[in-house]
Order: sequence, then C-alpha cells, then structure tokens
Amino acid sequence: MRRESYVEIDITSLIKPFECISPDLSLHRVAELFSNANYSNVLSLPIVENGIPVGVISRYSFIDVYLKNYSRELNGRRPIRFFMNPLPILVAHDQPLAEAAQHVTKHMKFPLTEDFIITENGRYAGIGFVVDLLKAMELQMRENAGELNQAYTRLKSSQLALAHSEKMASLGQMVAGIAHEINTPLGYVQNNVSVGKEMFTQVEVMLASYDALIDSLLDDQVGEEQISAQMQQVTELRSNSGTREMMGEMQGLLGDTLYGVAQISELVLNLKDFSRMDAVSTETVNLHDCIESALNIGRNVLKDRIEIIRDFGELPTITCSPSQLNQVFLNLFTNAAQATEGNGKLTIRTWYENGSVHISIADNGKGISPEHVSRIFDPFFTTKPVGEGTGLGLAISHQIIQKHGGDIRVESHPGTGTCFYIHLPAIATTAQVAEMLPLAPDFVQSEETL
Amino acid sequence: MTKPTILLVDDEERILRSLRMLFFADYNVLMTTDAHEATRILREERVHVIVSDQRMPIMQGSELLSIARETSPSTMRILLTGYSDMEASIASVNEGEVFRYLLKPWNAADVKEVVAQAAAIARATFATQQSPRVAVIETAKHKLRILVMDNDQATARAIEEILQHRAEVIWAQDEEHAKEILAHQNVSLVVADLNMGGKSVSYILKTVKQFNPQTQIIVLTSFDDTSHLIELINQAQIIRYLPKPIRNNILARNLEFVIERFHALGGSPEMQQRQSVEPVKDEQERLLSNKFMGMLNRLRSRPGVEQS
Ligand SMILES: Nc1ncnc2c1ncn2[C@@H]1O[C@H](COP(=O)(O)OP(=O)(O)OP(=O)(O)O)[C@@H](O)[C@H]1O
Ligand SMILES: [Mg+2]
Repeated sequence: MRRESYVEIDITSLIKPFECISPDLSLHRVAELFSNANYSNVLSLPIVENGIPVGVISRYSFIDVYLKNYSRELNGRRPIRFFMNPLPILVAHDQPLAEAAQHVTKHMKFPLTEDFIITENGRYAGIGFVVDLLKAMELQMRENAGELNQAYTRLKSSQLALAHSEKMASLGQMVAGIAHEINTPLGYVQNNVSVGKEMFTQVEVMLASYDALIDSLLDDQVGEEQISAQMQQVTELRSNSGTREMMGEMQGLLGDTLYGVAQISELVLNLKDFSRMDAVSTETVNLHDCIESALNIGRNVLKDRIEIIRDFGELPTITCSPSQLNQVFLNLFTNAAQATEGNGKLTIRTWYENGSVHISIADNGKGISPEHVSRIFDPFFTTKPVGEGTGLGLAISHQIIQKHGGDIRVESHPGTGTCFYIHLPAIATTAQVAEMLPLAPDFVQSEETL
Repeated sequence: MTKPTILLVDDEERILRSLRMLFFADYNVLMTTDAHEATRILREERVHVIVSDQRMPIMQGSELLSIARETSPSTMRILLTGYSDMEASIASVNEGEVFRYLLKPWNAADVKEVVAQAAAIARATFATQQSPRVAVIETAKHKLRILVMDNDQATARAIEEILQHRAEVIWAQDEEHAKEILAHQNVSLVVADLNMGGKSVSYILKTVKQFNPQTQIIVLTSFDDTSHLIELINQAQIIRYLPKPIRNNILARNLEFVIERFHALGGSPEMQQRQSVEPVKDEQERLLSNKFMGMLNRLRSRPGVEQS
C-alpha cells in the first residue's frame, strides 16, 4: 500500500465490504460460502441480525464442527446461530487506529482465525483483516518516525547553520581563552605601569630633597640647623626600604611590561588574521599560513604540553576562505589537545599530489573508540562533558571542507592516536568558490519550511 | 603588630611579580604558580588573604578556594580572573564562597583597598578564634523568617514543604510587596529570582545585605549574565546561586547549609564582617538602592533589635 500524503490512516480505509450472513443461515449454506472464490481471502464470516453484528464464524471452527463424524448429516440444516462465536471483535469505523489495534490484538486468538467486524454507529459496515490493521499501524509508525527523523535532521542542520553563521562553535571557548590570554598580560602591564608611576612620584620627592640639600650646601647664607634638618630628611627618604626595593625590581618589571605588550599585540594581530569576521571572503593563500595562524590562536589550548612537528611539503596557493579553513584547523588542534593527557605530539604533514593539497594532522592522544568513529562528524556528537564540547567542531569542519570541494577523513587507533586527513582541490572551480559562501543556504531554507 | 600574610596564586609568574609590588610594603607576601603548593601553604601557615587566578592548569581557582575554605576557614578568599565563564562564576559562589570577584586588568588602588579590608576582617576572625567566647545563638530561639521573591508561588511552596514548621515562609510576588515586607520585618533568609515582572530586583538584595549582613541571600534563577553575577557577589555577597528549575533535594540541602550559616553568624559581628559588601556601583541601581535604604532606616531600627 502506497500513500501519497501524511493523512492519518483510519479504520474506514480498512473496511472490506463483504456481505454478511444471517444467523439463520444453515451450515450447508455457510460451507458453500466458504468454498466460494469470492470469500477465499476471509478467515471468518460476519453474522448480522437486523443490521447488528451478533457473531462470527471462522473457517477454522466451522471446519472443526463440520468435519466431525456425521456432523454434516446431522447438523447440515441447522442454523449457524448455534455454532457461531457470539463475541466477535468489534471496531468502530471512527476509532483511532492505535486504539483499534490495541483492542484487536488484545482479543484476537492464536492462531489467527477471525477477522474483526467494523461498525458504523453500532451497525455492520464490513469486516477488517487483522493483517491490514497491523500493516497500517506499522506504516503509520514508520511515517511518524520518518517525519520525526526528517524534522530532527532539519532541526539539527538549521541549528548547525545557525551556530556556524554566528561563529558560535567552539568560539565561546575561544572567546574565553582569548579574553584570558589578553587580560592576563594586560593585568600585569597595567599594574606595573601604575607601580612605576607611584615610584616615579617618590623618586621625584627624593630628588627634590637632594636638590634642596645641595642648594643649601652651596649657599653660604643657609645655617647649620637647616642643613642638618635637610640631611635628616634625605636620610629618612633613603632608608625607606620600600622605594629601594621597588627600584631594584623595576628593571624586571619593565622587562615584563614590554613582554606583555608584545604578547598582546601579537595576539591581536593573530586574531585579525584569523577571523576577518566581517568579510568572509575568498582569497588565494598558502595553507601553511592558515595552519600557522590556527596554531597561534590555539596556543592557549596547546599550551606547552603539545609538541608541534611540522613536516611541510611544497604547496601551491589555493583559493579558499582562509577564515573558514582556520576554523577547521583550530577545531582539529583543539580536539587533539583535548584528547591528549599530559604531554603529547601533534604531527602536521602537508603535501601536493594529483592536483590536490593534502594535510594530515596526527595526534598521539587517547584515540576514538570504533563505535564512535562513524559519529564524530555528526552535529552535536560529543563525548565531552557539558560545557566543554558542543559537538559541533567536526560537523562544521566537515561542512567547510565539503564546500571547498574537498574531503576530510579520520583514522584512529584507541590508545595510540588519531589522524585526520584533509584534501582540497588546488584549483577550485568558479562555481565552487561562488558556492563556498554563504554557508549552507539550504539549511536556511529548511528552517523556513519547518 | 606583625604584618598580615597574603598568598598570591597565578600560573603566570609575571602577574605574581607585579602584584607583589602592591603588597610587599605592608604584607608578608607568599606566592606560587602551583595550586598544590598553595594548599600546602594554607595548611601550614596562617594566611589572612588568598588571591587566586581562576584559569590554571592543575586546578581551577574556584576549586582551590573551596579547599581553602576547608583547610583555613578564616582566610579571606578573593578571585582575580582574566575571564570567567558562567560556570566559573557560579562555582566561585557556591564552592569558593569568595569575598570578592575581581577582574583583570585591575585597578591597583582598588585591589589594595579590597585586600586591606579583607586582611582586617581576617585578623578579627583569627583573634576571636584565639579567645573563644560563648557563642550566643539568640537567633536560634526565634523562628526563621524566609522571604521568597518570585513571581511564581511554586518556590515558596517548595520551601514551605521542605522546612515545614521550622520557618515562616513569606511569599512576595512582586517588587513592591518584597520591599514592603523587608521594611517591616526582620528576615533571616531571602530566596530570590533576579527578575520580577521583567525587572531586575538585584538592588533590593544589595540593599538588604548592606542593611544587615547577617541576612543570607540565595539567588534562584534562570537568568544568566556573568557581569550581573559578579556584581551580586561583590555587592550582595549572595551565598548561593542556583539555577532554576531546581530539584527539591538540592534546594533542601542548600537551605540547610545556609540556615546553619545564618545561625553561625548570629552572635558574632566579626563573622558578619566576613560577608560585608561593596557599595552599589551602577548609577541607576544606586538611586533605587538609596531610596530603599532610606525606607528601611525610617521604618526599621537598626538590626540587632529584633522586631516583629
Ligand atoms: N583528535 C581526537 N582524538 C580523540 N577523539 C576525538 C578527536 N577529535 C574528535 N574526537 C571525538 O569526536 C567528538 C566530536 O568532536 P567535535 O570537535 O565535533 O566536538 P567536541 O570537540 O566534542 O566539541 P566542540 O568542538 O564543539 O568543542 C569529540 O567529542 C571526541 O570524542
Ligand atoms: Mg572539538
């Protein structure tokens, strides 16, 4: 049975309008009916009196009766009323399918010997086949599940598109990381400067009193008392250990300050390189630059734990969206770092082959278990605790690589490590480049149809 | 008088060197980049104030401070962080029970002032511990009064159910009603949603805590904005920040804890000091807070004189 639309299947559509029989019909007549080709499909005959179903006789129990010794001779003329099952399974034509199915399955006997009777306002409307009913149920369930699945897929992908368009994926974490990375040096830079300023004030006071003392010493008019008072003041200032210690430290603090400022500017530069959030444009770049940029940005996740090994080949420049590829690399680096406990190694290899640029990123982290491998590119699949992973990193990476006409694959050995392979066509077709952005217009559409 | 001891913890050495400059003149400064080392120091030395970073490799600052709470309860805890996600902020309230939550980059004078205040409070706490007095827990004699500020009555009902006859639970369904109750009655515990009728009622909490530091405030909310939470820590010293909806057993556990805390603070002004607050900073909120404070002062005599 094929259905065009998602209309709910109802009982009416299951009605088989077989003619019913009267309870007064003789066994002989019933035997004839059962052997009639028209009735070959029915398991049982509905028995109706004045329009109301009063019983049912199944082929199975009829044969039982009829084949007993001499039964045909003895009972052939007797009405079926005495042999029928007076409690047929009744289902109203407007009963919901699920409810009807429940009722039927509860009362049917095994092996299946009877059909059920469908009524309309209590009156006979036809019979229904149990098998049809179950089939209808299954179909409806499957359709529901299908619909649910579709809705789910659409929802997932529209969420994914949304997340991507807002650059939310692992960006929340990134923002936290970057804010921390900037505010830490900014913290000591600012503090050192204000400490320096304070010290400068003290030094000024000190210099002023030295000056005054020297002036007095050079001036014949100034008396002994004043000079000794000034000496006293200078001695006091000199003995202020705080200022001395501060001055001793200041050299170091100024060094730190310069270091901090350099670090902040480097970070800001990287960030600018990295995201170009405003214009997500395509450019012709060398992938090594993208990789370096992502490594820089990911520095705070890689920390000093992960040793980066670069095995870079000669690569032609490619036309791509650098900010998107940066995001892919960053996702992969972050994942690798998160999969590595303690110190680890990250080997990045690049090479050019058959018109494609290839990148492999291998870590020696904990690996991915075989039952998870097929799911890691699914949106929202994550093994990380709430708050740590959204499960969007690889889904988005996959989408970005696909839009670039490339492919991303994984190979993982639990306990040994994981390697991601990416290849990208060196020369993207114009159509591909045009299609690269905006990402996933189809998702936006499906969101509307939701 | 010997200098108070301050312990600085940050994984960036340059931060430590820099902070030290603010304190070495007036404090005995200990510092470390290693959180484990910090816990050892807390066990072995009398530390008046600990200032810790949040994001560190071995241990989060909130975790370190919650350890500090156990090993050295008199030490005042301050978090100094470059960035904090919601989770870290919540942990710093619920686990770290921090005195102040400060952000990097900081203002040198402000940090000095906060630390000085914390050190003085810690001194007082250490002193009372040395000469233990008979704690007069007068409050235990009085029935607890709990004000629930929430548009929805469900929270009040849940609390009533949990505490039964042990507390009088008053439900305020809007801002005005809440202020009305606070103006006329002593309340031991406030359980509040931050949003009532679409308006923020943080200023009420801040004012109440200023008026009487013994009042314990639990925030129960689905609201999530870190900057507000940080203000609530510094300006209202909220003791718990719990997400809504909340399971009854969690609510019950937290209520028990906070009630105990309320009683512990009861007889001791030194202990109450530990939860003293910063003045309200936001212009708008300050106006509202001042007005409400005026109302409290007019209608209620100062805390300590129990009224009903
Ligand atoms: N290098 C890797 N080693 C081990 N497991 C990995 C690695 N990369 C990905 N995985 C597994 O794949 C899952 C999905 O990764 P994905 O980047 O999509 O999401 P996530 O890292 O969990 O969260 P998010 O990237 O949003 O922070 C991870 O939770 C992890 O279990
Ligand atoms: Mg990831």
